Amino acid sequence: MGDFKLTSVDEFEAATARLLETGAKVGADSWQLRVKNQSPHCKFGETGVCCRICAMGPCRITPKAPRGICGCDVHGIVGRNYLKFTAGGAATHSDHGREICHTLYLSAEDGNYKVKDPEKLKRIAKEWGVETEGKDIYDLAHEMAELALLEYGKPFGTQRWLKRAPQTTQDIWDREGIAPRAIDREVSTSLHMTHMGCSSKPEALIRQSLRAGLADGWGGSMCGTEFSDVLFGTPKPIDTEANLGVMNAENVNIIVHGHDPSLSEMICEYADDPEMIAYAKSFGAKGITVSGVCCTSNEVAMRRGIPMAGNFLQQENVVLTGACEAIVVDVQCIFPALGPLSKCFHTKFITTSPIAQMPDSEFIEFHAENAGENAKAIVKLACENFVNRNKDLVYIPDMKQKATVGYSVEAIVKVLDGVTNSQVDETGTTKPLIECITSGVIRGAVAMVGCNNPKIRPDHAHIELMKKLIANDIVVIASGCAAQAAAKAGLMDKQSKDLCGAGLKRVCELADIPPVLHMGSCVDISRMMILAATLAKDSGLKISQLPVVGCAPEWMSEKAVSIGNYVVATGIDTFLGVDPYVSGSSEVAELLTNGVREWVEAAYTVEKDIDKLVDSMIDRIEEKRAAIGI
Amino acid sequence: MTLFDRVFNGSDAVYGLTEGAINAAIEKHGADKEVSFPNTAYSLPCYYGVTGTKVTNLGELKDALGVAKSLMTREKRLNDAFMSGVATALCAEFIEVLKYIDGAEPYSEPCYGHLADAIIRELGVPLVTGDIPGVAVILGKAPTADDAAALVKSYQAQGILVTLVGDVIDQCAEKGVNMGAGVRVIPLGKDVTAVIHVVSVAIRAALIFGNVAPGDAGALMKYTFERVPAFVNAFAPLDDVVVACGAGAIALGFPVITNETENIFRVPKSLIVQEDVSKFNATSLEARDIKIKITNIDIPVAFASAFEGEIIRRK
Repeated sequence: MGDFKLTSVDEFEAATARLLETGAKVGADSWQLRVKNQSPHCKFGETGVCCRICAMGPCRITPKAPRGICGCDVHGIVGRNYLKFTAGGAATHSDHGREICHTLYLSAEDGNYKVKDPEKLKRIAKEWGVETEGKDIYDLAHEMAELALLEYGKPFGTQRWLKRAPQTTQDIWDREGIAPRAIDREVSTSLHMTHMGCSSKPEALIRQSLRAGLADGWGGSMCGTEFSDVLFGTPKPIDTEANLGVMNAENVNIIVHGHDPSLSEMICEYADDPEMIAYAKSFGAKGITVSGVCCTSNEVAMRRGIPMAGNFLQQENVVLTGACEAIVVDVQCIFPALGPLSKCFHTKFITTSPIAQMPDSEFIEFHAENAGENAKAIVKLACENFVNRNKDLVYIPDMKQKATVGYSVEAIVKVLDGVTNSQVDETGTTKPLIECITSGVIRGAVAMVGCNNPKIRPDHAHIELMKKLIANDIVVIASGCAAQAAAKAGLMDKQSKDLCGAGLKRVCELADIPPVLHMGSCVDISRMMILAATLAKDSGLKISQLPVVGCAPEWMSEKAVSIGNYVVATGIDTFLGVDPYVSGSSEVAELLTNGVREWVEAAYTVEKDIDKLVDSMIDRIEEKRAAIGI
Repeated sequence: MTLFDRVFNGSDAVYGLTEGAINAAIEKHGADKEVSFPNTAYSLPCYYGVTGTKVTNLGELKDALGVAKSLMTREKRLNDAFMSGVATALCAEFIEVLKYIDGAEPYSEPCYGHLADAIIRELGVPLVTGDIPGVAVILGKAPTADDAAALVKSYQAQGILVTLVGDVIDQCAEKGVNMGAGVRVIPLGKDVTAVIHVVSVAIRAALIFGNVAPGDAGALMKYTFERVPAFVNAFAPLDDVVVACGAGAIALGFPVITNETENIFRVPKSLIVQEDVSKFNATSLEARDIKIKITNIDIPVAFASAFEGEIIRRK
């Protein structure tokens, strides 16, 4: 079995403790301290019963004050807060997708951005009924980009991507009136509904939450993923490494953090440039190491094998190593704390997006038009900063694991083709996976997604859940910070097959895959929707019948709630380890955990006890199997 | 019924039969009665390989049955199905060894039954060098005798060692297929439990050539999975007992190819449904990743190393 060993959360924490010592030396703040300052949290906020959507308030609901000033009861307030939360998440992913569409619109043969996967572009064009024959690929790209951008604000009709879902799912969406129309419209409608004096009926608010979520998952996020693949290449299996040990003390370390691959792809491009490497050497470094944090890291890891330094709650650790010349960020999940923290070191904190501007940062505005020169300027800036490093403060924990990533749906189908028998099977389908599931070799699949949250011991839930799932022959597909937790622990090393039950282990051996498959960033959860849709079509089952569930044990952001809503609305039961501020309303909580099942054949389970959370997922998977007699 | 339920039912059935047979033997001969296979240094090779324990008499055989029973867990996990399959195989070995009590010779021409260590040592080297590129275990009754003969000959022409269990033996005899260890076509026996005599070959190969320590079941299964290029061709209809035996084969790394279409589940690379028996050969070789290095010589008779041991008799 070799000398393979997982890295434990205890080891993660010991490394963090050591880094925080450096932080204490230089007077740095940390999220650990800020959590203390914010605890205990306000109960009204935590249960969702505080409303401040108009200037008559703020109002809060108690037994003595059961209604706000406008007369809204607790269910209306909690429901509105939940819908606003969803709208925030949907807007965020969708705007990311929009940026990618704009980048596609600016792609050119001799430009910064090229079409790297023309076949995928043509495939999507066919899907959308766009003529490809005899058309220049860039003309097609621009036409498709424009069509995609119209998805954001078209006056009539619903999302084009919905057609990818099985007919049964489309019928449910139509029947329930939740098929998303224009992406931005669903966000706007949500904000309209939550205005004072509009909707206060929980059913209406939750229904719109599902619809706004679908506008994200089957709209904005799908645009982001699909056109990122067109621009930067569809991921295929690639080896990389994860955890802080990927940073190199002898090199210029550039960290890319955020979400939009348009920036990080360009930075990686220039960091590889011999001219830049020579430039780094002129300052005494041995080279340039780009590594990533959060979803932008997932994007470049999936496509380029760029190592992953860490996930959400590790972003400060990257600076605390004292070896980070520049942390370059775009949008989403970036701690504003990085500004003051970077001032304690030589680190340059470089913001690039007008969407995410922060104090104490250097703002280098980044657009598709000036991407090349700006990326080069940023890499140069990082190189020049190498000489300012305080060597006494440098400590990079010697901690990293190998990971094989890059499992797009296309790559998964290719892997599955590898276990077919040419005498009996057809290729290009998910049938081998369905056969593994129906025979019982694999019991089911869990999509592990989501963030870190200080309310849960960071990464502990992700890793422990995954370990138990794979030991029970349940294959895990992961994205976002959940995926990075797995990679840091070693669960994306193919050798971790030895931690699996006999069934999954055999599958890993025959298909040559790790038991936890990295499907990408958070917008790439749209890949998981496509996978679920394909499995349903290939098996003839409804999505809700598949022994598949979703899980976000350490979720934190509004985006995660939007994701949860579209996963549930797609017919996949979703398990949360953190309550989405709805416990204050029995009606809203009941709707989310039970009532929506009547509409979309799936619902949420909220369970803060991690052991119970994983057991309830395994039970649900077995229930689903029993229901279809497998 | 799920695939695992079929496996569990099959192993339960075999366990019941074995328990009855051992109890009857003890009643007849007493618990101290010696049991052994002829010409082997490995006691009951399968049981010895899996557990590291040698069985010498009926009393110990009864204890061994208890060990086999402990492997027949019914959790809905592949490990449990695998172990139940292995336990089924062990039961088959117990039933077979009972046939040899008092130096009996239960098998007669053309069947071999238990294979002596000497035969395994002889076959072992060509197996390791790839001269024997695979081992086919053909089980049951082919749709027609012609199908059976054609399939056996196709493997034989590729140098693959063929073992036969069940009605396929009569079908081959009917078609005049020349059988015997010398030509690498070994009919084992008519009962399904006779299949254990080829499993015994794979396990002894691991013990003899793989230096696997008896009782190290993990290493044993790894060795057979990686080094013994065997596969099973099981003809429809498959009953639960055969399905349970199949789970044991798959546990050792041997894919099962069948023409059964009723109540069967497909498992990629492991349990493959090939309705066309004439494609069993190609399907099996691909499933076990066996690549035949062959130059086709256009001559009027079959040509392969399998025919090296052939004896020409006067008519």
